[in-house]
Amino acid sequence: MLLFIAWRNIWRNPVRSLLTIAALGGGVVMVILYAAFLEGMTRQMVQYATEISTGQMQLHRQSFVDDQDLYATLPWHYIERIERRLPEVVAAPRLYAAGLASAGDNSSGVMIKAIDPLRERRVTKMLDHLRSGEARFDAVSSNEGVERRYNVVIGTQMARNMHLNIGDELVLITQAADGSIGNALFRIGGVLRPVEPNFDRMGVLMSIEAYQQLMYLEEGFHELALWTQDLTALEQPQQPQQHVASLLTELHAEQPLDELGGAAMVRNWRQLTPAIADMLELSKAMVIIVGFIIVGLASLGMLNTMLMAVHERTHEFGILLSIGMSRWWLLLMVLFESLFLALISAVIGSIAGTFVARYFEQYGIDFSGSMPDGYDWGGIVFEPVMRGHFEPQHLLSSSLLMITIAMLASLIPSWRTVRMKPAEVLR
Amino acid sequence: MPLLTLEGLGKRYRQGEVEVTALHDVNLSVEEGEFAALVGPSGSGKTTLLNIIGGLDSPSSGRVHLNGIDITALSESELSDFRLLQLGFIFQAYNLVPVLSALENVELVMVMQGRHLHERRERAEHYLQLVGLESMMHRRPAALSGGQQQRVAVARALAAGPRLVLADEPTANLDSENATALLDIMHRLSHEEKTTFIFSTHDPRVMERAERIITLRDGVVEGDERIEQHRHGQ
Ligand SMILES: Nc1ncnc2c1ncn2[C@@H]1O[C@H](COP(=O)(O)OP(=O)(O)O)[C@@H](O)[C@H]1O
Ligand SMILES: [Mg+2]
Repeated sequence: MLLFIAWRNIWRNPVRSLLTIAALGGGVVMVILYAAFLEGMTRQMVQYATEISTGQMQLHRQSFVDDQDLYATLPWHYIERIERRLPEVVAAPRLYAAGLASAGDNSSGVMIKAIDPLRERRVTKMLDHLRSGEARFDAVSSNEGVERRYNVVIGTQMARNMHLNIGDELVLITQAADGSIGNALFRIGGVLRPVEPNFDRMGVLMSIEAYQQLMYLEEGFHELALWTQDLTALEQPQQPQQHVASLLTELHAEQPLDELGGAAMVRNWRQLTPAIADMLELSKAMVIIVGFIIVGLASLGMLNTMLMAVHERTHEFGILLSIGMSRWWLLLMVLFESLFLALISAVIGSIAGTFVARYFEQYGIDFSGSMPDGYDWGGIVFEPVMRGHFEPQHLLSSSLLMITIAMLASLIPSWRTVRMKPAEVLR
Repeated sequence: MPLLTLEGLGKRYRQGEVEVTALHDVNLSVEEGEFAALVGPSGSGKTTLLNIIGGLDSPSSGRVHLNGIDITALSESELSDFRLLQLGFIFQAYNLVPVLSALENVELVMVMQGRHLHERRERAEHYLQLVGLESMMHRRPAALSGGQQQRVAVARALAAGPRLVLADEPTANLDSENATALLDIMHRLSHEEKTTFIFSTHDPRVMERAERIITLRDGVVEGDERIEQHRHGQ
C-alpha cells in the first residue's frame, strides 16, 4: 500500500516528476558517456603506448637509459635466448644515434633509429603508419650506378622542414663508434605519420645493416622491444617482466656484461611511459569525481522536488499521522517515492546512455578538421578521432552512484516528516 | 465507568512574550455511545480540546483518561497506535489521500491495523454503503463533492472500529443541506455502531442534532446540557 501510494504520488505532478527524471536520467547518461570516453581514450592510449612503438616491455642497459651511451649495447644472442625461453614473446632490436642531416641548403639535427623491419612488424605497428612512400630499407643504386644508398623513412615534420620528398637524397653525418666521422648518402623511401613527437621532428629510420655501416657498431643493440601474445600482460605486466628479469640475471651469470654499460634492465610499458600510466590511474579517479559532481548536481533536482512534495503535503501528512500512521511509515513513503524516481531515472538513463555511448563507440567525435594529424599527449600522438568505449559495467556503476546520491539527497526532505507535529500542521 | 474523563485540563500557548490560555480547568466525562457537540465561538478552545483528547497535542496540566488509559502518559509511538486502534478523526476538509480512491482511503487505516485484505475490503465497502456512496467507491476525492468527501471520512473513521470518533467542525465547509445530511448520517451510525462521537461546531442547525451540548468560552466550560432527541433511522 505504501509503495502504491508512493508510486501514485509521483504522478500527482507529472511535469515536475518528469523533469526530475530527466535531470537524474540525464546525469546517468552523462556519467556513462564520460566513462565511455575516458575508457575509450585510455584504451587508445594503452594501445598507442604499446602497439605503435614501445611494445609491452623493453630491455636496455643502465647507461643507455641514463646517458644514451652509444656503447651500452646488449649482445645479439640475447634475442634468441629470450625467444627460446619465453615462446610467447617476440622481440625487436633497435639501435640509436644522434647525427646531422643535410639536403640541399637545409640541415638539421637528427635522431637515427635502426630497426630490423621483419622483427619490428611482429612487435609494433610503427611501420603501418606510413604517410607516403613505402616502408623500405633496402639499398638501391643511384642513377649513375656508382654508389649504393640505403632507403630511410623519416618523420612528417622533418620532411616538411627540410623540403624532402620520396626519392630525394639525404646526407647523414655522425660520429661513428670508432670515433671517426660517419658520412653517407641515403634515399627517402617513406614518410611516417606522426606517432611520436620527437621522431616526427627529427627521426630517421633505417635498417640495422645501414646503421652498422654508418656507425661501425656491430657488437649489439641498444634496445629490445618485447611483445607477448598473452593479453593479460597489458593489465598486469609484472609477471612476464619477472620472467625476463630472471632470465637476464642468468645470462649475466653466464657471460658478464662489461662494467661501463651498466646492468641490463627490463621495464614494462607503465614504467616506460609513466605519463600514460599516471593518466590511466587519474582517469579512473576522474570518472568517480566527475560522476559525483554530475550526479550531485542532478540530485539537487531530486532534493528540490521532494522538498516541494513534502511541503505541499504537510496537511495530508498531518491527517495521516492523526489517523494513526506512524512517522516511520510516512518516512518510508517519501523515501519510496524518491526511490521510484531514482529507479525510473536509472532505467531510462541506462537505456539512453547505452544508445549514446554505442553511437560514439561507432562514430566517435572527429577532430580531423582542426587537427588533421591528431594531438599529442604525454609523448604519444593520438588519432584525431575520439572514440568512446562502452562497458556494460558502467551502466550499473553510474546507476548505483546516482541512486545512492539521490537517496541521500531525499533524506533531508523525508526527515521533515519525522519531525512534523500534527496539531500544528493541521491548523 | 465513563469512556472519557478529563480532569483539570489546562493548555497554555506561549506566543513570544504573551501567554495564551487556550483551556482552563476543564472537567468533563463522556459516556460510551454519547453523541456530543462541542460548541463555542471561534478561538474558544474547541480544536485544542479535541487535539488533546486525540493525543495530537499535550495538555499543560490535567489528565485525560480514555477507556481507562491515561493518554497523557503515553509515548509518541504508543499514542500513534492508540489513535490507530481506538480513535477516529474527521477534520474540517481535505481528510482524504488524493491519490487513493474512496475505497482505498477507507481501507488505508485497516491496512495499518494489519487487517487482512478480504476483511478490510468487505468492511470498507460496507461502511461506504452505510454513508450512501456505494456507487462512487472507485472515485478519487477530486471527483467527489465536499459533502461526499466528508462522508468518506466518516466511513473511514468507523470502518477502523474505534471507541471514539472526534470530529473538528466537520460541516464547516458544507452548505446547510449537506451539513445536516452529514450530521444525520453521523447520528444514525453513532447509534447503529454504538460509537461515541464528539464533534465541534458553531452552526446552530448542526447543534440541534446533538444529544448533549458542551459550551466552551475562552477555554472554560460554560455550559453542559443533555437534550432529548428523537432517534434518526430508528
Ligand atoms: N499553536 C498555537 N500557538 C498559540 N496560540 C494558539 C495555538 N493554537 C491555538 N492557539 C490559541 O488558543 C486559543 C484556542 O484556539 P482553538 O482551540 O483553535 O479554538 P477554536 O477551535 O475554538 O477556534 C485561541 O486563542 C488560539 O489563538
Ligand atoms: Mg478550531
